Amino acid sequence: MTSSDNFLKSLPYFAALNSEQIERLKKDIVELSFPRGELLFLEGEPCRGLYVVKSGQIRIFKSSPEGREQVLLIAGPGDSFNDVPVFDGGPNPASGSALKPATVYLIPKEKLLSLLADCPTGLNIIRQFARRLRQMTALVEDLSFRNVVSRLAKTLLDLAVVEGGPSPVRRLTQDEMAAMIGTVRDVVGRALRTLEKKGAIKMEGQRIIITDPKILRQLI
Amino acid sequence: MTIVIPEVDLGKCNGCGDCVELCPAGIVAVVNGKATIVRPEDCDYCTDCETFCSSGAIKCPFEIILVKDEGS
Ligand code: SF4
Ligand code: SF4
Repeated sequence: MTSSDNFLKSLPYFAALNSEQIERLKKDIVELSFPRGELLFLEGEPCRGLYVVKSGQIRIFKSSPEGREQVLLIAGPGDSFNDVPVFDGGPNPASGSALKPATVYLIPKEKLLSLLADCPTGLNIIRQFARRLRQMTALVEDLSFRNVVSRLAKTLLDLAVVEGGPSPVRRLTQDEMAAMIGTVRDVVGRALRTLEKKGAIKMEGQRIIITDPKILRQLI
Repeated sequence: MTIVIPEVDLGKCNGCGDCVELCPAGIVAVVNGKATIVRPEDCDYCTDCETFCSSGAIKCPFEIILVKDEGS
């Protein structure tokens, strides 16, 4: 067995394959190298296959409509990613780029599915699981963001004072707001824009003006 | 209305110039080795300089204000 055979066999996906099957699998695997910063694939594009990191590091991230990036995973040697779209047939759920110079194995989607060709029921079950996993991931993202919006709404209500009133106006950076509600500043930025779209607040230069506290209260 | 601009902590700023590159309004310059907002009136408080300063030398605090004539 060569070192690449051993590497493939050490991956959970291929642990049950015999040497002959590993040999056949190897013929279709593509080895790709990426300099630091280069994109492997984009969110929303059709999926080419499953990736396994041979060396280096890959950053898996999602981009918001405003162009901000949220890192979901840093994959190192032996880690695989992009498995959901291989099995549910949907587009790539996130983008991938090389955080450090990296070499990855691309196991083409058709090849991976062909390993299951003689067990169509197994394939159907996996497909259902992959669909569920995609839905659950979207749900978790949505819920955790709503949670942040709700905590931010409460914090803004707690801190807001009337201008020119007896209490001094509080000044907080987005980092400080993030620390108070247990998130990071990018997410605070998104949450502030969401509250503005809902008509609860108005961002005017360095001022966050609470224009409709009722909306904020409903969100808590 | 007084113009409020990001606050530069001169002790922390190392003059790397990242904020000069990144400010979308192009209004930051490194003067005498420190970041300076040279056209305050054009700052739209986007907070990009704060986001990208790796020394944590720029801060964009927000005032949180409640409008006065709220019924409750
Ligand atoms: S990015 Fe930060 S450290 Fe660099 S010049 Fe600007 S304020 Fe100074
Ligand atoms: S807040 Fe935005 S516009 Fe103002 S100095 Fe910073 S980067 Fe430039």
